[in-house]
Amino acid sequence: MFEVTTDWYLTLSAILFSIGFFGMMIRKNALIMFMCIELMLNAVNLTFISASKHFGQIDGQIAVFFVLVVAAAEVVVGLAIIVSIFRKQSSASVDVLNVSRG
Amino acid sequence: MCLEVNLELLFLLPIFLPLLTAIFLFFNKNLFNELITNFFTLNSALLSFAISFYVFVMLALDKFQPINYSIFQWTNTPDIKIGFTLDGLSGIMLLLVTGLSFIIQLFSTSYMETDEKHNNYFVYFNFFVFSMLLLVMSSNFLVMFFGWELVGLSSYLLISFWSKKPAAAKAGNKAFILNRVGDFGFLIGLMIILNTFNTFDFYTVLKSASDVPENTITLITLFLLLGAFGKSAQFPLFSWLPDAMEGPTPASALIHAATMVTAGVFMLVRISPILQHSKIAGMVIISFGLLTALLAAFSAINQYDIKKVLAYSTISQLGFMFIAIGAGAYVAAIFHLVTHAFFKALLFLGAGAVIHSMHHEQDIRKMGALRKQMPVTASMMGIGTLAISGIPPLAGFWSKDEILASVFANGGIYYIFWALGLGAAFLTAFYMGRHWLLIFEKDNGFDHSNVNEAPKTMTRPLIILGLFSIFMGFINTPFFHGVEKVLHYSLEGVEITHLPEGITLIVLAVLSIGAGFTGLLIAYLIFSFEIFKRFNFKRINLDYPINLVKDLSFNVLYLNKFGNSIFVTGMKNFTRKVAVIVDGLIIDGSVNFVSTAFGKTSRVASATQTGLVRSYVVYFGLFLLLLIGLFIITPMVPQ
Amino acid sequence: MVDLILFFIPSALIIIGALIVVFAKNPVHNAMGLVMTLVSIAIIYITLNATFVAMVQMLVYAGAVMTLFLFVIMMIGVDKKEQSSESIKGQTFLVSGVFLILISILGYVAISSEFKWDLWFEAVEFAVEGTPQLIAGTLFTAWIFPFEIISILLIVATAAAIALAYDSKRKKNDV
Repeated sequence: MFEVTTDWYLTLSAILFSIGFFGMMIRKNALIMFMCIELMLNAVNLTFISASKHFGQIDGQIAVFFVLVVAAAEVVVGLAIIVSIFRKQSSASVDVLNVSRG
Repeated sequence: MCLEVNLELLFLLPIFLPLLTAIFLFFNKNLFNELITNFFTLNSALLSFAISFYVFVMLALDKFQPINYSIFQWTNTPDIKIGFTLDGLSGIMLLLVTGLSFIIQLFSTSYMETDEKHNNYFVYFNFFVFSMLLLVMSSNFLVMFFGWELVGLSSYLLISFWSKKPAAAKAGNKAFILNRVGDFGFLIGLMIILNTFNTFDFYTVLKSASDVPENTITLITLFLLLGAFGKSAQFPLFSWLPDAMEGPTPASALIHAATMVTAGVFMLVRISPILQHSKIAGMVIISFGLLTALLAAFSAINQYDIKKVLAYSTISQLGFMFIAIGAGAYVAAIFHLVTHAFFKALLFLGAGAVIHSMHHEQDIRKMGALRKQMPVTASMMGIGTLAISGIPPLAGFWSKDEILASVFANGGIYYIFWALGLGAAFLTAFYMGRHWLLIFEKDNGFDHSNVNEAPKTMTRPLIILGLFSIFMGFINTPFFHGVEKVLHYSLEGVEITHLPEGITLIVLAVLSIGAGFTGLLIAYLIFSFEIFKRFNFKRINLDYPINLVKDLSFNVLYLNKFGNSIFVTGMKNFTRKVAVIVDGLIIDGSVNFVSTAFGKTSRVASATQTGLVRSYVVYFGLFLLLLIGLFIITPMVPQ
Repeated sequence: MVDLILFFIPSALIIIGALIVVFAKNPVHNAMGLVMTLVSIAIIYITLNATFVAMVQMLVYAGAVMTLFLFVIMMIGVDKKEQSSESIKGQTFLVSGVFLILISILGYVAISSEFKWDLWFEAVEFAVEGTPQLIAGTLFTAWIFPFEIISILLIVATAAAIALAYDSKRKKNDV
């Protein structure tokens, strides 16, 4: 009766993405925000993989592969930025950074 | 055949020869001394005159059939081209301009001898001659307008020739600006012409004039008339001409007496086939002409500047020409134009000779009894004075009498115009007599023993012009209609007012001679015989009215001050108010409002730009959700 | 039945881990929550026949990236307390607004589709195994150009990270 279909995975992915997004909005620590970004990226990856299975094609998994690489690169650069910010103000809070205020 | 082709090209030569001379002299400004400059400019003027004369003779042999020559066709519809025409009218003007240009340049060589801008003077002078010829030789309104503007420019250059004098610079500006007012009207007239006739060509326009409603004709002529009023210094726009006397006297003689100021008269005669269709325009012309003639003549009777008297006299005589045009006597207008050109040039050059001998003294109160020192000049100026006063058989008599007789011949209300014209002629004789007597006859107690006769290069042109002033009148007498024959083709299809016949003509002639003689006699009685000193008029107190007349005349009925207070001071105040209200409050206000409004709204909007990452995340999420909502609400069509 | 167990247990772990990431106060706890989520996702991948991607997920994400995170956490200190009160004006209001809109959209979608998913395309019957051979075969033929671009991106990112994190002053002091 209960068959695990693609839409279950999509729902899971949506929930994961929403949690990540709310994390982005309410957390002030830059590190945690990065983790939330990772959550959202993984939600997207999950969508890709389930679509790959849904359509019976391998390209979805390759897209996940690319997303993984981009995420890794982003994390590397982002963490470097966090470190350099931390050196300046000895805090990882993003609320202090408002240089581009209008 | 060969002859005609030659003639077509030949009549362009006098037009462009002065231009080439001007350019040539301009580029060799630092190279040539006075002698070489004189050599070039005189020979060029002489050559120009000789060619003009030859062309005119050829034209006369051809019974004054018009010759057209177009050097550049710009567009076919509307018909716009650079074209020139040679007919009786432009032939007369060609001869007049080149001839006077030569004579006056001859005079100028010694008058301007010691001036440091000697070369410049001749550059401007030749440029003026070119522009004037462009104006008179044009075969369409557009080229005429080019000439019209260029004479304005060269006139400006020559009026403010001694631009170091503030008065000269101001006078140049005044002339230029007042002419702009006229040219504005002229330009509008041209646009209406192009709109109505789809061409600028005189011949086409004048032929098809009868097909156009009279209102359009009236509109065109009234706008063109404004241009003519500006250029020919008629009533509302006349005050620049007396001020223009700041320029060198020979230039005044050519530009502000003989040729440029008559451009308006020339133009009106040129468009006479249109003009005759509009009764309103005719009345406007004659009434303004009369007003100008009387006003200027009245103003001339108490001027003390030797050139200003002549300037007002010029305005007055131009008024006479306008009277002639308004009365339909186009031949008389051109005839008076020609004779006036000679005797007024003579008077101006004579005045120039006097000024030269008096070491640039222009106040006639400081002259007097110069007759013994300057016999040639005195006699030639005497001839000029008699000619302008209308004493037979000198030139002025024939032309002025023809004008007055033509006005009389129209009948009706024109009898009044005639009477007023006669009054203006009387005033002319009076102020010219006063002018001559004050300069040459009356002893004002100044020592003039060091004043000598002007050099021969000055007196010779005077003698030539004097001879012309005597004999020029015979080209168009009641017995021999020379000018009318010359203008036969130019005024084809135009109704010309003819002179009355028989006894009327003789009576009118006697009356106008009488007016001239009376004017001269009264002038003699007052200024030479000094009637006020010899007889005691104590019983009738004449001091007050005489002083009033003197004051009014000297100040030109306070018209200048009136105009100044309205158009200069009033305008200044008005524009200042406009600047404050319109510019300061409305324009600046709106601009400032826009900028402050933008500043305020953007300050409000920029409050959302906190610079904080988390705010941006929220905005991003908000609009992402809105977008998703939009997608969901939008009905989707499954493929 | 196994299907359901293999879906619901990792799903529950994923959501719990994600909530830990968002709400835990200690950064190390957050990182551990993230590890939990990532590992559970790898399990989901395996149930979805993407075995190779699951392995990569374990190695790269749960291994390398998380190590990096932990390094940074250690570097900038765990003891630093995050201020708990909201400092941005209107942020709470906006966040709750976003949340409400999200809920309303979800509710609208759920009600309008009568609690049924309506995917436009039917699921295929056959299963594609995400084996290394298959992935490599596709990656190095059809996707070779994006792959090269991605490699360049990685090099650039590495260089950028070095350039950003390199402190010239400190280095001088050390030498």
